Amino acid sequence: MNYQAIRAAVENPLLSAFGALSPAVPVYFDNITAVPPNTTTEYVRVNVTFGITNEPTLTSSVDNARGAIVIRIFTEKGRGPARNQTLLTTAVGVLETLNNNTKGTTGVYFKVGEINGPTFSATEESPHFMGRIDTSYVATVLS
Amino acid sequence: MARDFKHLINDVKELVSASARTAAVEIMNGLVEAGPGYSGQFSSAWYAVEPGQQAGGPRSAGGHTYKYDLRNVPAARFRSGTYYEIVNGSSYAAQALDLEDGSFRTQYDADGNILVPVKDPVSVGTRTGSKRGQGSSGAGFAVSTAPLDWYVTYTNGGALQRDLGNGVKIGFRQGPRGGNTPGTGFG
Repeated sequence: MNYQAIRAAVENPLLSAFGALSPAVPVYFDNITAVPPNTTTEYVRVNVTFGITNEPTLTSSVDNARGAIVIRIFTEKGRGPARNQTLLTTAVGVLETLNNNTKGTTGVYFKVGEINGPTFSATEESPHFMGRIDTSYVATVLS
Repeated sequence: MARDFKHLINDVKELVSASARTAAVEIMNGLVEAGPGYSGQFSSAWYAVEPGQQAGGPRSAGGHTYKYDLRNVPAARFRSGTYYEIVNGSSYAAQALDLEDGSFRTQYDADGNILVPVKDPVSVGTRTGSKRGQGSSGAGFAVSTAPLDWYVTYTNGGALQRDLGNGVKIGFRQGPRGGNTPGTGFG
């Protein structure tokens, strides 16, 4: 099982999409510390988690993994949801594009499920307004 | 002697109800295994309720993770044709599920003794964000007993489907016409 290839299949398109925005929006992945606390800088946090690998009933393939993708968008609090929703649209677009890939003979074949959310929250302590979506995925490593 | 066909409808209803109960038990124990456990109270606050019903609070004062059995899903509350939600009734459920920012507490009791979590920590270190599971292995004492986003990983990563399937299998085996005892099938 090549977990890194699965992770890259999600992370690279998200990094590219948010990097192509003007201004570019930083994306932070698992095990990377995000912006300093108490700043209002907008950013995106992506968590890719792994659930069951090589579930016998899934298919006969021995290189399947299931898991979840959680994307949290942090924008400045007190300025309405518009900016947050604009960035969420970028994230949803990337997830939908992942489903357009066709199954080849090499690489990672990736399918995401329905997208839950967005849900929004803001707390008194944090200077950010947070939008959150999550989805399931099934990935097959083909090489 | 074969069982009379007139019992079929009621037996199927009983079987479905029994399977729903065993599936709920398996899922709630799966959630306990996957989720956080510091005091243990959160693990004891899972309930299977009809949509709109209020879940109860923690069933235990803590000190250990809770183990569910069929007594936690009374047969009288499980009717065929009704659907149920499994929800957590603790006041800080949204924080424990990583849906809201966490509010963190001291790890010492009133006497200055350290409070030991009931589950082994998955990370101890510096807090890297405002969510419960956002800690790193760097310097610091922020303790997390389940990884960030453990709940969506449980529901989306295959474990929920596994526990549901196991529960239904157990329920069918224990049902009124379960097993393969000769003479108990329908004639």
